[in-house]
Amino acid sequence: MPKLLIDGREIEVPAGSTVMQALEKAGVKVPYYCWHPGLSIAGNCRMCLVEVEKAPKPMIACDTKVAEGMVVKTQSEMAKKARAGTLEFILANHPLDCPVCDQAGECELQNFYMNYGLYDSKFDDEKVKKHKAEIIGPTVMLDSERCILCSRCVRFCDEITHTGELGIMNRGDHEEIGIYPGKELDNKYSGNVVDICPVGALTDRDFRFKCRVWYLTPSDSVCPGCSMGCNIRIDSNLSRPHHAKGERVMRLKPRENQEVNKWWMCDEGRYGYKFIDHDRIVKAKSGGVDVEFDQAVSELAAFLNVAIKSGSQSKIGVLVSTHLSNEDLYAIRKLFKEKLGIENIDYRAGQKTGYSDDFLMKADKSPNTAGARALEMNSPAAGKFIEKCEGLILFGVDLPSLPKNLRFLAYIGTNNNSASKAASIVIPGAVYAEKEGTFTNFEGRVQRFREAFAPLGDAKPEWQIACDLSAKLGIKPALSAGGLEFQSAEAVFREIAKTVPPFEGLSYESLGNTGKQLKQPVTSRS
Amino acid sequence: MNIPSELKNKWDLVSAKYEKKRAAMLPILRLSQDHFGYITPEVELAVAEYLETTPVHVREVVTFYELFRRKKEGKNEIRFCRTLSCSLLGAEDLLAYLKQKLGVEPGQTTPDEKFTLHTAECLGACEIAPMMQVNGDFHGPLTKEKIDEILKNL
Amino acid sequence: MHLRNTKYEIRNTMVKIVTKNFNLKDSYLLSTYESTGGYQAIRKAMDSMTPDQVTEEVKKSNLRGLGGAGFLAGMKWGFIPKNSTLPKYLCVNCDEAEPGTFKDKYLVSLDPHRLIEGMMIAAYAIGCHKAYIFIRGEYVRPYERLQAAVDEAYAKGYLGQKLMGKDYALEIVVHRGAGAYICGEESALLEAIEGKKGWPRLKPPFPAVVGLFGCPTVINNVETLCHVPTIIEKGAEWYAKIGTAKCGGTRIFCMSGHVKKPGIYELPMSVTLRQLIFDHAGGIRGDKKLKAVVPGGISAPILSAAEIDVGMDFDSLKAAGTMAGSAGVMVMDEDTDMVEALKVATRFFAHESCGQCSPCREGTGWMYKIVKRICDGKGRAQDINNLLSIGQNISGTTICALGDAAAMPVTSYITKFRDEFEEKCKMKNEKLKITI
Repeated sequence: MPKLLIDGREIEVPAGSTVMQALEKAGVKVPYYCWHPGLSIAGNCRMCLVEVEKAPKPMIACDTKVAEGMVVKTQSEMAKKARAGTLEFILANHPLDCPVCDQAGECELQNFYMNYGLYDSKFDDEKVKKHKAEIIGPTVMLDSERCILCSRCVRFCDEITHTGELGIMNRGDHEEIGIYPGKELDNKYSGNVVDICPVGALTDRDFRFKCRVWYLTPSDSVCPGCSMGCNIRIDSNLSRPHHAKGERVMRLKPRENQEVNKWWMCDEGRYGYKFIDHDRIVKAKSGGVDVEFDQAVSELAAFLNVAIKSGSQSKIGVLVSTHLSNEDLYAIRKLFKEKLGIENIDYRAGQKTGYSDDFLMKADKSPNTAGARALEMNSPAAGKFIEKCEGLILFGVDLPSLPKNLRFLAYIGTNNNSASKAASIVIPGAVYAEKEGTFTNFEGRVQRFREAFAPLGDAKPEWQIACDLSAKLGIKPALSAGGLEFQSAEAVFREIAKTVPPFEGLSYESLGNTGKQLKQPVTSRS
Repeated sequence: MNIPSELKNKWDLVSAKYEKKRAAMLPILRLSQDHFGYITPEVELAVAEYLETTPVHVREVVTFYELFRRKKEGKNEIRFCRTLSCSLLGAEDLLAYLKQKLGVEPGQTTPDEKFTLHTAECLGACEIAPMMQVNGDFHGPLTKEKIDEILKNL
Repeated sequence: MHLRNTKYEIRNTMVKIVTKNFNLKDSYLLSTYESTGGYQAIRKAMDSMTPDQVTEEVKKSNLRGLGGAGFLAGMKWGFIPKNSTLPKYLCVNCDEAEPGTFKDKYLVSLDPHRLIEGMMIAAYAIGCHKAYIFIRGEYVRPYERLQAAVDEAYAKGYLGQKLMGKDYALEIVVHRGAGAYICGEESALLEAIEGKKGWPRLKPPFPAVVGLFGCPTVINNVETLCHVPTIIEKGAEWYAKIGTAKCGGTRIFCMSGHVKKPGIYELPMSVTLRQLIFDHAGGIRGDKKLKAVVPGGISAPILSAAEIDVGMDFDSLKAAGTMAGSAGVMVMDEDTDMVEALKVATRFFAHESCGQCSPCREGTGWMYKIVKRICDGKGRAQDINNLLSIGQNISGTTICALGDAAAMPVTSYITKFRDEFEEKCKMKNEKLKITI
């Protein structure tokens, strides 16, 4: 393993490493635009120039292979001058769009100028004019004047999606990124080019002019769009509720997880966040009328009490959505199956399937099927009990047609649908962004998602609702007697880890930011 | 688009010379330009399919290289050199004369579609500067009279 | 065909190696080439020398790369890895787009078989069975001559499955460019053959290891290869003696600009610039005074009239702060406006920059804009220093040498003729003086 000196410190790296990789290992930052660990090396931006002793001119860190005894200097006069010089070239024809550019605040031109530039510009001529504000697809806007021609987007479409929509036309300072006329950038992963564009050349049409990025609050999460479980970041606008019509979620961005989604996410997941702030159930209902949360829970408890006293548990069904977290599902199972003896619990009704590919999109369009299976939320009767039920409690499951014997319907969930409209008792639930919890992806990987903001209206996490219900049912809360009183989602997970064999050994701490595999992986088909 | 079989045969013949199919890009674009007069979008799409790449990657090549035309041009192509030796020997004045005589700016075609004028960088004929290339032939050293004579004979 | 100056004054029995057949009738035909002893060197090489011995001979001859880089040709051949199982390629660079250069045009038009024989010897030396000649798209008639010569060689059985009838295959494909100066850069040339834009590659790896289609490749200029048959025929020692200590043989110098007799001149490497201009090319037109000379294509730093007593070999010109380059000598008389000349040079580079890397892409266009503004009478005082600063920032930071090449005229013209630039910038400011 070759050893080299970086700014005086000795670093050892695997043979064949580049100086850039050595810099990363040493924790030394250099600016770069065109380099991306998930794409091929382009070496065209020339921002990562560093001084290498004995080399007559500065070398680009991204493509220079480490040699034993190499001496790299990132802070020497040569390196600083080369960097500032390159930055000046890149900014020479760059339009002064900052006031109207969505990238402001997360722009690598702004950032690098403040960190490595701070020169007085000597460009005093007319800048090259190119196409501006061009729609190149349903979700992406292109501004060629802002483009610094790093070619990340071109390489993404060639190397990651293999769809080759983007190219660089012309020569010299009239070069422009473009799409073939008549075609559009819509390959199910198009949104990623906006992430990797270091400047405001490629911007998201969904996010356009919505919110300045310095008003955003980031929160680590997991995409609930399918069983892939891509790691994401929810960017919410919590401090300026008068922007964007009071919506909280402004956008979703992928979060790096080398074990799951690398650096990417699909468009379906990226833009599938509207349900968080739209058409939500915010108040409990009884008989179609808004009521206090407690009242609805009490009425549901009353129904259950009657059913249990008359021994008609077998006539009651509980359908759970695989959009619920492991914590929600466990609490529901513990209450209904263990405490109340209701066997008819199933997760398979209402499951949606859709487009899948061999990249990041799974056919199962819910995030926690593997969790439901690991928690044994499937009844032996394979859900056939539904037709015979007289009472149904739906946790987030929409049933377009109701069984003919049905006399009681309760819906506990987040968004309005036909079942919630037909239900006599409706209790508002929290979406994934509004609670702590974990999902188990198709491979059995358990991943944490965080609470980005408080639940809307009177909504509560479903595991919490199960606790409230158990209290109303008079089940003794004392934990020693096996009561259902959890103080937090983490407390639920601790009990899962103790009592459900596939989850043995896991904890919120061990899950970290990128998750861990179940002890016995429960692979789902989709 | 259906490429006429005579052209397609030429594509096949020239592609056979190269180890990788994609390497036939420049020759088949040139053959197509000779056939149709210029590179149409239909040609780009057909070439992309033939070489198993995407249309935008064909357009990249077409817009990068100067000799590929994207619109119909006149019967005679004039490429007028304006690099160093030619400039030293008065190319600028002669170009102005030619522009005035034809009534076009570089890149344009005369209304009777007889001439298209382009400016060019060094064509490798500095020994006869100032010079221009007409339909592949080099002409120089030029004077106003010489230009008149060359155009008259076309 | 316009080719002029095909008759030479033989001064002091100066030897002609690559232009010796130029004055013959139908010089380009295979029969003519053979009747003057052509296609004997390849037979000699294949019959009595090993490939390594051929490479050694060329190395000893001090044959330098005559496209511009001046790299020892034999050394380049030696870089091909011996133990690679990949096919080896030979690519001939006939892009000849460096302003001031037009020698290869004559070679392929008047003696293409010399090039083909040189290619055969090179191919044999490096173990190559497939060669490409990349000829710039603008060379139409020269291409026709070249292709006809290749066809003749195939028809005679000299090329194909049996090179010169021996058990060694050699195919030659002529690949036409489509109008881009950057394709004269080795790795951009490879990209153009591979059917892509002429974007130079990151180096290392170098073409000798990873070249055409990822295989070991040698790229040589047309003229370089044209010298090879004579080197094999007459021996490296004979060839090396003709030139200077480190620069063997002769080369074709291209004279143009304000000289009385523009054209090609094959002369030993030891000739001086003064001799070239005044003894061979007839001196300055109209008997005016010499002002400046560009000695090796537009990229070469300019020399003033006081600096012309320099040998035209690679090493002497490098020591003089310029370069031998492609031997494109452009001569400027006393009435030349150096600022206008720089405008032409910067316009050229702005037009030809491939655009791949930031400094060259933005810098070439920027420098042209400033110089043009100065020529239009709108120059500002800080423009001159800005130009020098931009040139300095481009140098050494780009993917290929075009960036450096673009900076050299800017730096050298301003350094050596600064007063002209200052004068032009002042003019505007003076016009603005308002008298009250």
